[in-house]
Amino acid sequence: MQLIREIGFLFQKELTLEMRQKYALGGILLYVLSTVYVVYISFVRVEPDHWNTLYWIIILFASVNAVARSFLQEHSGRQLYYYTLANPLAVLLAKILYNFLLLLFLSLLTLGAYSVVAGYPIQQPGPFLWALVLGSLGFSIALTFVSAIASRATNTSTLMAILSLPLLIPILATLIRLAKASFIPKAGMEVPIKSDLYILAGIDLLLLGAAMMLFSFLWRD
Amino acid sequence: MILKHGWKALGAAILIYTFVAGLLIPLKTGVQSIIPQSIQSGRNVSFRVQGYNTQYLAGAPEMRAWLKMDDDHVLAAFQILVQNDRELKVGFQIPFFLPTDKKVQDFTLIIDNPVDGAHILPSAVFVTQDSINMALAKMYWPPEKIEGLHEKAGISFPFRNILAETIRNTYYHVPLWFAMILLFLGAVFYSGRHLFRLSYRNKITTGEDRMTLDDDRMSLSLIRTGVLFGILGLLTGMVWAKNTWGAYWSGDIKQNMTAICLLIYMAYFVLRQAYEDPEQRARIASVYALFAFAAMIPLLFVIPRLTDSLHPGNGGNPAMGGEDLDNTMRMVFYPAIIGWTLLGLWMSQISFRIERLKERWLESGG
Repeated sequence: MQLIREIGFLFQKELTLEMRQKYALGGILLYVLSTVYVVYISFVRVEPDHWNTLYWIIILFASVNAVARSFLQEHSGRQLYYYTLANPLAVLLAKILYNFLLLLFLSLLTLGAYSVVAGYPIQQPGPFLWALVLGSLGFSIALTFVSAIASRATNTSTLMAILSLPLLIPILATLIRLAKASFIPKAGMEVPIKSDLYILAGIDLLLLGAAMMLFSFLWRD
Repeated sequence: MILKHGWKALGAAILIYTFVAGLLIPLKTGVQSIIPQSIQSGRNVSFRVQGYNTQYLAGAPEMRAWLKMDDDHVLAAFQILVQNDRELKVGFQIPFFLPTDKKVQDFTLIIDNPVDGAHILPSAVFVTQDSINMALAKMYWPPEKIEGLHEKAGISFPFRNILAETIRNTYYHVPLWFAMILLFLGAVFYSGRHLFRLSYRNKITTGEDRMTLDDDRMSLSLIRTGVLFGILGLLTGMVWAKNTWGAYWSGDIKQNMTAICLLIYMAYFVLRQAYEDPEQRARIASVYALFAFAAMIPLLFVIPRLTDSLHPGNGGNPAMGGEDLDNTMRMVFYPAIIGWTLLGLWMSQISFRIERLKERWLESGG
């Protein structure tokens, strides 16, 4: 119970911080919108396969940028202060939760903007939304943890990209397959969407477990 | 002494055995090709059959051949002419009607003689019939059984039509992967132990003022060797793929996934470079090694199983075991896994010692 209350407070803190430094969020939003527009003016008409690829590439880089700062924006001294005030696990979980919602918001926004300019090929919105939710969660867990690893190093942004991109590929591969399946109308279903969703949930759980177990060795600095 | 160094000698001996046995034991006899491959029913056809590793001249007196549809429908050859050790001319009288309700039916070719043993070519010949008449077909196809097949004497590896001699790569490509996974597992163990000792030391402060970094060094060395084995496995696999699938890189899911897996572990080396303080480096590298292994589990074991792949055991291809790995191959394959793993451990140990010496050299002022 204590843990949940702490997560709640820390989550509020993350939100307040974000609202105070609006430029960071604004930068990400602008990045998403301008990439979508670049895609539009260079393709004009987007085939479903290209739609899929480009959508996830936009999401991938937006996510890496959005989450990279989660352990960097605050001074390490203040971080230590949080760890003494609250359970370190709560700090991590609050950040994961916050990033999850941020990424979900980002991907929905991208979906909206992208659909307006590049068309909307999705035939089964249900599975696609589930994929977005589970994918955002997986991205959030992996990226938050990698950001915690990279935050102590000297060349953080490079390290962040090197460490996170290979780790995200299993999630991304599953997501792309899922999205492709959701372009087919339900009647002609041959691709098993459910098993892919279970895999995604499994990967999320695995990463969450590993992150929670290993975080206690990361924060003591 | 024996325990301390014996395992290295054992590893080397096993690998020498693997190379000698794996490269020198001959393949079983097989049928390489047959011409023509598709014919019309109701004709006398003379096929040219190319054998592999065969000695047809020696086995000529008792040479027999069949076209087999299923266990009850077998057609014996009416004429067999031995051209040379590797070539036969086999005549079959194909009845007008086939005992099947399909227009096109495939037949398996079976050739047998006492010297070469029995060898087969699955789906060797496709026969097309103009009209289907099961009742008439029954008259043309009296029940016939294949009996008294011979076995080739001596030890040999199975012959597979597409693989041929490259089947020997099973002893190098596959065990390298096994050894890689085992080495990475070892790295997980040492990384875990490093972190465990770290948390233990934090609870009760011991007299030692410095934490030993040996576990982290061992973990680094194991990952180094594992990545080397991974690259070797990828290269041997690519050569094999060129030979059997026709391209070095065919975008097969297992190829892609292992490439990503190697990227994840190469990031480990970059990560190590990013930290100056040895203790911090050891701790963070251990954390990453564990996290990377967790992320690798779906990559290596879950996703490739759900997607079509050209590898055996995926997408309807026969799995390891069963037909692909017979007992003779097991006698080389299983020792090869042990041998490569022991060699990997030996290499890791040497790398570990180099790391430790480097540290001492730096401490003594280099």
